[in-house]
Formats: sequence, structure tokens, C-alpha cells
Amino acid sequence: MSEIIIEADDISLAYRRTRHRVNSLKQTAINSIKRKMQHEEFFALNNVSLQLNKGETLAVIGRNGAGKSTFLKVVARVLPPTSGRIIVRGHVAPMIELGAGFNMELTGAENILLYGALLGRSVSEMRSRIEPIAEWARLTEHLDIPVRAYSSGMVARLAFATATDKSPDLLLIDEVLSVGDEEFRDKSAARTQDLMDSGAAVVLVTHDLETVRRMADRVIYLDQGRVRAAGDPEQVIQAYHDDLHR
Amino acid sequence: MDSLKPFDELDVYDSAAREVPIISQLKGVYARRSLLRLLVARDLTVRYKRSVLGIWWTLLNPLLTTTVFFFVFNTVFKAKMATGTLFLPYLLSGTLCMTFFSQAMTMAADAISQSASVLTKVYVRPEIFAFSTTIAGAVNFLFGMAPLTAVLLFYGKLPGYKAPLVLIFVLCMTLFTTGLGLLLAIAYVNFDDSRSIIGIFLMLLQYMTPVFYPITALGPHTQRVIKLNPLTSYMQVLRSVWGNNGTATTGDWIYMILSAVVIFIIGMFYFQKKWPGLVAKL
Repeated sequence: MSEIIIEADDISLAYRRTRHRVNSLKQTAINSIKRKMQHEEFFALNNVSLQLNKGETLAVIGRNGAGKSTFLKVVARVLPPTSGRIIVRGHVAPMIELGAGFNMELTGAENILLYGALLGRSVSEMRSRIEPIAEWARLTEHLDIPVRAYSSGMVARLAFATATDKSPDLLLIDEVLSVGDEEFRDKSAARTQDLMDSGAAVVLVTHDLETVRRMADRVIYLDQGRVRAAGDPEQVIQAYHDDLHR
Repeated sequence: MDSLKPFDELDVYDSAAREVPIISQLKGVYARRSLLRLLVARDLTVRYKRSVLGIWWTLLNPLLTTTVFFFVFNTVFKAKMATGTLFLPYLLSGTLCMTFFSQAMTMAADAISQSASVLTKVYVRPEIFAFSTTIAGAVNFLFGMAPLTAVLLFYGKLPGYKAPLVLIFVLCMTLFTTGLGLLLAIAYVNFDDSRSIIGIFLMLLQYMTPVFYPITALGPHTQRVIKLNPLTSYMQVLRSVWGNNGTATTGDWIYMILSAVVIFIIGMFYFQKKWPGLVAKL
């Protein structure tokens, strides 16, 4: 069994964008008549290569728009790279904005099923997980009411509990969660740690350099889609700092 | 928590793997059929279980439209109907067909554009959301056949021996609206004003389709234009198979099946090509 979870070989992601973002049909029609549509190639990722092994935690840092979220989308299989090759092995669990896949009209139990199925788990498997998930999220008594009636903390608890129910081979985290009361924050931090200890590889995107120091084994620093620095956390963070204060 | 399992083949993503349009899309949807089933069930429960009117809620629109059209146009068009064609079932089947079409298509586009927060983070084929809404639309349509059958029975007519062929109509309409819904989804994500434009388009289409008038009541040139609209063929087929309350030519059958297959393939193909560019911008 291979121990390599992510193998990215020289991946780039380019797309055409109009110079001034046009988002109405009317404006597009007028512009194309006047021949004013100007397209430019935009590289959201440019020749990125890396390898991530089982159990390793990789942090991705960089300014806004540096390509961090695009990189996560490519790893999550949502966006195919326009050139290069990426191979990702194993069950991937993205921690998306909590509650994004929820339907407010459905009950808590129905949402656990739906959310789990969206994350790629089988429905029959999810049926047996409803009870344990609800218990962990302390929502057992609220399972049969529509999520519309939940507080935002309850929604976050349910979403987190469902997303982390199965230990994945690769965990994708876009900004560390800071939801719910203190008790739940500690509990969710402990669970994330458990997942990491159980051998899951982690890709973490964040602006919080303290978290990076605490959690990451390796860091890559992206700047305009290119890898500016990669490797040891302290050195890469230093390079990022130097650029920021230049 | 489960323990780590060795990776099975499904769990390996290789961006260099060859993707054949249509075939790999359909395979991808089929691989997640339990999710598809769940999404269809969600669609139907949200509509039926959670509202006081229940199933009547979805039928309200076609039934009210039919009632209004009946009182407005009954005297004008009743006499112009071909002999043996009853106006009320003619009108109701036309409205049900039109509702199936416009609801399935716009809701498929809505389902994709409103699921952007999930679709940009989790690997799920967006086509599944289009399929789930059009399939739910098909189920709604089949519920709508109940009042139509009641009206036919009221006039002493039976659905007739051709009735099972209605399933071919349903299948074609599902493919047709899935293809159009995927195309519309691209427009919805790209252009904010496409929703209001499609509203106007659907209203015009309502009049460009023989919902409440017989085609024979029109002049020869207008008839030719109306027959270019594939929905005309869909409507004729529906009326002919359910209650024998209208005639469908072989041409109507061919046009219906051909338009369904062609539009479905174009929609899937174009969506596959354009979607990555949209995700990058979302």
C-alpha cells in the first residue's frame, strides 16, 4: 500500500477572465457588439509540485488571492488542473463552511444522511451513523425537528460531527473552525487532533500563523500562484514575513 | 470512528485519467445513485410533507392556470376544436406539459447555481443536482395525471390502450429539461439578469405552444412556426397517448425523441466543458 497521499506534478490552473468582470447578459451583449470584451489568461496556480505522505500536515500560506483556495479545490477534485498531473489517494474529507450542504427544511436526521452522502459515503452506512453523530453533537433530542429551528451553534455542531465522523485519509481544512461555545471548540479541536493522530494527512489553509506553527510539519508559501518557499515551517513563515514587511 | 482501509480503486483520483464526455458523466452519476435517490426524495418531501396543502401545492399552479384559461377561452376555442377533442382535457394536458417543462428546467438550473457552496468544495458531479430536480419534476407530473384522468372520466373517456406510452413522453421530457437546465445553469452563474430574461422567454413560449388553442385555428404560416417549437410535438404526443384527445403524427414522435436526445447531449457536453471555468470563478 502506497504511503503517498498527494502527488502533484507541475500543476497549473489557468482560466480566461474578462478584464472588467461583467455579470449581466445585457452588458455582455453590448460589449461584444462594441468589441470591447478583453480576455486575459490568468494563472491561479503556476507550476506547483509537491508530495504529501500519510500522517503529514501541510499548511498553505500566502496573501489573499495567492491561489490557496484554488489549490484546495484542485486537491478536492473539484477543479481539474489545466496542465500537469495530480494524484490523490484515499477518502477525502473536506471541512467546508459548516452547514453549506444543509437543507433548512429537513430534520437533523435527514440532513445527516444527505450531508454524509454528499461527502461520498453510502446512504446505508450513514443510516447507522445518525445516532452516534447526534450523540456526539449533543443533539439527540433535536433530531426530528427541521434544522430551520436550530441555533447557528447547533448547525455547526451537527455539520462538524457529520464531516468528521469517518476518519479520512486526507483532511482538507480551509481556515480553522472557531464556532460554538468553548466546550465545543475544545471538543472539536480534540477530534481534529484525533483524526490527525489516526494517520490522516492534512492540508490546512489559514492566515493564522500561530496555528501553522502549532500544527504543520511542512509549509508552502504561495505568491500569485507560484510556490515562493516550501519546507520547514519556521523558515517559510520567516520568508513570508520578510515579503509582507518589505 | 472507522479505521483506515486500504484504498479501493474508486478512492484514487488521477487528473490525467481520460474523461470521455457523456459516458464518464453518466457513469459518475450512476456511481452516486444513492445520493441521487436521496436528493429526489428530499425534493419531494420538502414540497409535500412540509406544507399544509401537501401534494396539492405543486398542482395548484397548473390547476389554477387551467381554470382561468378555461373560463377565458372556452367560448372562443371550443367550437374550433377538432371533432372528438374535448376542450377541458386538452387545456389541462397542455398546462401540465408546460408546467413540467418550465419547472423542471428552471429548478435544475437553480439547484446547481444554489449549491455552489457545496460544489466548489466537495467532489460531487453537479449534473446529479440537475438530474434530481428533473426526476422530481417527472414524479410531480405523474401526480398531475390524476386530475387529468378524473376530467377524462368525467367526460366518459378512458386514458385508452396507448396510455403506457406516456412513459416515453416522461423520459423524453426529463432528458430534454436536464439538457436545457444544465445550459441554463451556466447562464445563471455567469449572468445575474438571466433569471428575469428566462421568465419573459417562458411567458412567450406559453403562447408559442398550443396550450389553449388548437393548431388548426391558426393561419398556415403561423402553424409552421408553432410546429418548429419542439414542445408542440411533446404536447401532441401527450394528448394522443393519454385519453386519445388529440392526434400526434409520426413526425411529432420523431421530433420529440430527437430533440430530447440531441438537447441532452449538447447540454451535458457543453456543461462538462464550461463548468471548470465557472468553479474557478465562484
